[in-house]
Amino acid sequence: MAHSSPQVPLPDYPEEITAARRELPFKDEELLRFYSSMRLARTFEEKLAALYRQGKIFGAVYLGMGQEATSVGCASQLEKGDFLSMVARNLSAYFYRGVEPRHVMARWFGKDQPPSHGRELGLFLADLENYGIIPYHNGSMASWIPAGAGYALAFKMRRQPNVMLCFTGDGATSPGDFYEGLNFAAIHKLPLVIICEVNQFAYSTACDKQMPVQNVADRAPAFNIYAETAYGNDIFTVIAAARRGIQHARNGNGPALIEFKTFRQRGHGEHDDMAYVPAELREFWEKRDPITMYRKWLIERGKFKAGIITRIDEVAARQVEAAVEYAESLPYPKPETVTERLFAPSPHDPKPEDREKRFEPIENPAIPALTRAQQRSSGEHF
Amino acid sequence: MLIGQICVMRGLTCFKLTTAMAEITYLQAISTALRDEMRRDPSVFVLGEDIAVFGGAFKITQGFLEEFGPDRVIDTPISESGFVGAACAAATVGFRPVVEFQFIDFIACAFDQIVNYAAKCQYRWGISMPVVFRGPTGGGIHAGPYHSQNPEAWFAHTPGLKVVLPSTARDAKGLLTAAIRDNNPVVYLENKFLYRHYREEVPDGDYVVPLGLAALRTRGRDLSIISYGASVHHCVEVARVLEGEGASVEVVDLRSLVPLDKQTVLESVKQTGRALVVHEANMTAGFGAEIVALIAQEAFDYLDAPVMRVTSLDVPVPFSPPLEMAMLPSVDKIADAARKLLAY
Repeated sequence: MAHSSPQVPLPDYPEEITAARRELPFKDEELLRFYSSMRLARTFEEKLAALYRQGKIFGAVYLGMGQEATSVGCASQLEKGDFLSMVARNLSAYFYRGVEPRHVMARWFGKDQPPSHGRELGLFLADLENYGIIPYHNGSMASWIPAGAGYALAFKMRRQPNVMLCFTGDGATSPGDFYEGLNFAAIHKLPLVIICEVNQFAYSTACDKQMPVQNVADRAPAFNIYAETAYGNDIFTVIAAARRGIQHARNGNGPALIEFKTFRQRGHGEHDDMAYVPAELREFWEKRDPITMYRKWLIERGKFKAGIITRIDEVAARQVEAAVEYAESLPYPKPETVTERLFAPSPHDPKPEDREKRFEPIENPAIPALTRAQQRSSGEHF
Repeated sequence: MLIGQICVMRGLTCFKLTTAMAEITYLQAISTALRDEMRRDPSVFVLGEDIAVFGGAFKITQGFLEEFGPDRVIDTPISESGFVGAACAAATVGFRPVVEFQFIDFIACAFDQIVNYAAKCQYRWGISMPVVFRGPTGGGIHAGPYHSQNPEAWFAHTPGLKVVLPSTARDAKGLLTAAIRDNNPVVYLENKFLYRHYREEVPDGDYVVPLGLAALRTRGRDLSIISYGASVHHCVEVARVLEGEGASVEVVDLRSLVPLDKQTVLESVKQTGRALVVHEANMTAGFGAEIVALIAQEAFDYLDAPVMRVTSLDVPVPFSPPLEMAMLPSVDKIADAARKLLAY
């Protein structure tokens, strides 16, 4: 089937990371942690895709390959007590925050793994207590911008110096929730940071069919908020832009909208063959793979021994294998638990003794004149 | 009647009213419950359109801004999905937001956040979301298609939401107090005609009506009328009319659709052998169908007549009075159906 080539500009983004090691404020272990989170996510997702093709994963699988630098770069700039929400493309941010790969894998297998106990897909986790990952409605990607405003409102009401960081995508900037959430946050100067990963396609629809502006940041003047557009595959560029946005919000100046240009290397889900992606676009971004670029930088400019990096690759592979073993060994949730936990217990849930007080007559019924007395009629022939 | 008790608090002797009553309107009862909970619990805050400076389109929150300040009484932009999503989020981190819809018809603008975010959070992750969505429902006051609707069935059909509809001032206070203290999302549907047309004695101070307990509004032996919300008043009137004709009618007010007090419905129907289900919302896939199905399944052997329904017709709520009158259930329509059942 022929697809018309979308009008995607190929910008002048470099194929390598050129930051000077001595000018970066990071310790060696931080630089390696960035890499290990990205590498682990990539290896995990490669395995997940294979398991999906083998029929071992139910339903559909959504991967974030190609977007690891934006995920890790932004997550790395959060502080204690900050919250974040993530898209299907941000597994590496989960891992950066310390989420265990075996737990994610167990969820993908539909096993009895808290906190969802089989009720949610593997990529949807909410755990405020351990990772600051908020619960949100994952169905529509704009729908958590209002929720993000709500968490930012809670921070502001408590005079807490924290920020709420929401990952979202280019397609999510069209629904009304994007406007309603950002509008509310901007009015009240809430500490909300929107990270918009422009990965070129909302499912199969290119940006020029999604929005009449070239950049998502071009929408920001409507809210009178801070915004910028940056290259999303160079982790140090990401970190610098994310830091500016986060600082802006944390300092009480209101929301920030940070847009990163990147590329979704796989389909919307693994069922999607990406036939709609022009070859030249794919080639352009293949040369700018964020993990390949960063790995090269670590060895060539970061002066890390190749062996150290290779060991991280091996550890990631072993962790993923162990995650699969763990997931396979866990039991499924028991069918009889399916109706459990629909409602949280509440202080005034009816008790048997409450049944005694049930006769409470209405002495003087209040009825609109229109429906009190009228012609005997069933309605059809008034 | 005032009943009090002497109590000693921090060395001061004071007179604490426990079951004092004041005659107030349905609207004042809602307002009182909201104000009392905000005074009692600093995590409760209210947000909605025109509720702060203006005190709300119906003046439920009049004086709230002055008493509680702009952090807890928030005028929102006209963006239901936006402020509902924000309220839901705040509810998962220790707040108890109460969202006002200026007219309940506009809850449709926030449908996604309510049915996909609020309703599913506890089930998906065990994270509770104590948030109340409240607003005025109902027709009969010439308000037309967008200011008269009864959307309870939309939400009763969504697992994870509680749905309550007070028909009296006491219940308006008691159910709202319980709803705010509930650890789940609660859709609390008020009736705008009752706001200023119904008043009764309502207990002062802490007064709670648990969610999930029906009330009997009349007692009777010959026919059960099962209803909720403002329609209960019509049903009570019908019971009086039929009493004059020698029939004894029991009116069951569900008060809460989710959770549903099945026991009270079934006890009543098993005793009378006849059931009529009444609501103001239109018929098809309305909540009444659920009650009829419950009775058919659990009380079939006790029935002496088919179960009937009186509801609005399956059209939008029209503006012009003769059309609206033809569309809505009325005392006469309910009485006619009741007579048919009694004669069956």
